[in-house]
Amino acid sequence: MPEQEPYEPERAIAGTGMGGTMDLGTSEAVTLEQPPGPDGADPREKPRSLWSDAWHDLRRNPVFIISALVILFLVVISLWPSLIASGNPLKCDLAKAQEGSQPGHPFGFNGQGCDVYTRTVYGARTSVAVGILATLGVAVLGSVLGGLAGFFGGGGDAVLSRITDIFFAIPVVLGGLVLLSVITSNTIWPVIGFIVLLGWPQISRIARGSVITAKQNDYVQAARALGASNSRLLLRHIAPNAIAPVIVVATIALGTYISLEATLSFLGVGLKPPSVSWGIDISSAAPYVRNAPHALLWPSGALALTVLAFIMLGDAVRDALDPKLR
Amino acid sequence: MLLEVRDLHVEFHTRDGVAKAVNGVSYGVDAGETLAVLGESGSGKSVTAQTVMGILDVPPGRITSGEILFEGRDLLKLKEEERRKVRGAEMAMIFQDALSSLNPVLTVGAQLAEMFTVHRGMSRKDAQAKAVELMDRVRIPAARERVKQYPHQFSGGMRQRIMIAMAMALEPKLIIADEPTTALDVTVQAQVMDLLAELQRELNMGLILITHDLGVVADVADKIAVMYAGRIVETAPVHDIYKAPAHPYTRGLLDSIPRLDQKGQELYAIKGLPPNLTRIPPGCAFHPRCPMAQDVCRTDVPPLYEVTESDAERGSACHFWRECLHG
Repeated sequence: MPEQEPYEPERAIAGTGMGGTMDLGTSEAVTLEQPPGPDGADPREKPRSLWSDAWHDLRRNPVFIISALVILFLVVISLWPSLIASGNPLKCDLAKAQEGSQPGHPFGFNGQGCDVYTRTVYGARTSVAVGILATLGVAVLGSVLGGLAGFFGGGGDAVLSRITDIFFAIPVVLGGLVLLSVITSNTIWPVIGFIVLLGWPQISRIARGSVITAKQNDYVQAARALGASNSRLLLRHIAPNAIAPVIVVATIALGTYISLEATLSFLGVGLKPPSVSWGIDISSAAPYVRNAPHALLWPSGALALTVLAFIMLGDAVRDALDPKLR
Repeated sequence: MLLEVRDLHVEFHTRDGVAKAVNGVSYGVDAGETLAVLGESGSGKSVTAQTVMGILDVPPGRITSGEILFEGRDLLKLKEEERRKVRGAEMAMIFQDALSSLNPVLTVGAQLAEMFTVHRGMSRKDAQAKAVELMDRVRIPAARERVKQYPHQFSGGMRQRIMIAMAMALEPKLIIADEPTTALDVTVQAQVMDLLAELQRELNMGLILITHDLGVVADVADKIAVMYAGRIVETAPVHDIYKAPAHPYTRGLLDSIPRLDQKGQELYAIKGLPPNLTRIPPGCAFHPRCPMAQDVCRTDVPPLYEVTESDAERGSACHFWRECLHG
């Protein structure tokens, strides 16, 4: 064994994190006199933005990989369900009602004699579409309103804060029963609209809070002192530093919106047959759970797995974006 | 006169009442001149600067009266949009802590380039080239590579250089530096101050240097304004004030500098605390802490007397400035 330690490139790179920048502080007097030397900028230290840093963390997180794969699979089958299910979810044969698993029909049949496997696959489309679209609506509406209220403050902020308080007082399921029962349209849009209506105050509050925090940073004041306009301050200096909590909460909320859609459909005010939704299938299978438990278990399992995947994804994203929480 | 502040009054509405942060401050700076504004925390020096820059938070702040004349026009009468165009292009500010004054999610190059894209409408590519040029100018080694780095990858001194580069980018006529070296190592402080002074000479800018460090002031300032409880208590050319202060507060500040020839002795400190700005003492605000206080100090607010015994233009807001000057 040679006495000298072998050169380890891994360690050398790791050492340039804090150490590299601190060296510059003490060697400043030297670098002033000298022409820019190789120690001025460390070529091995590749600059990383907040987002690429978060991505770097995420890629190493097994929770993220598993949940992302589940979600990717769900998105693919909701776009092209025929990839894995060749049947028609609306083609039912009452003669086969409540029958169990058999070749070609791995999940068996439900009370109406429809193929449970096909319906479970097609049900993903509704859930994923409602989840993603409702989350987008909530995130956009909530962060715009909350962000503006937090940035400008004053009367508008006070009014918005009281409005969000009022919305927080509305019980979600009761609100759904009242509002959605008067709507006859059998598309996903009323459900999405309802979720956005009740969901935006949550995001608005978080966006408001994080904008107020980011607004107080010295660099916002500094940018203003150097002539940045309000829109530039908000979009370029505040938003990137305030968006992380919104992304995290929105990702976790996506899972809960999916289960909310199932709940509303279960109660008969969300989607109604002949639409295909896990909530409808759970609702119609529930009375026959003793005779045909499989008709209840498969859509319920799919729903639980989907919600879990989004909540896990949200957790992983939160860990990556806010390392202080770990 | 490049900038002239006249009888400025600023107050803050707080839960404890109205805090009178600035009570009739007047000062002026010429092109190429350095004015040091000296005072403890809460003396109103930063609030005055923020008001001049137009970045005071209103509310809770409120400008009750006064004028801020910049090249003859009153900035307080300008519309916010016009005011914004003055900021950055004609006057700029350097802050105390350069790490927190730079946006952590943008590269330093992007932040420097922003000055040119926003105010000059330059293309991104040209602005990026200008950013490298600026970093060279404030002597950041390997500027071409480092322009793509984030603020946390720079040392404290380098970050303050970047702040200076941002402030200088559009060659403003006036720079306000709010304690620019307080957050830095002593060894780096002098380098940053020298750089600032050198760029000031080159561009013939007016510089307002806000500080509580008398050591920094002596080297670079032309004149000094000492502030206490939102007022200017003494103003004088820098060397006169060191030789013979004409206000007991200035004397107290000078006496509390640690000195090599007093090694081992107890360090002098001004007794008491700066006043609560919601309850400024009547008469001379400094009287509860002043070793020279007489009855008149408790009742009569001293105006800024002209110190007639000096060749230069000097002022002192003390009833007993003569005694202080000779004491």
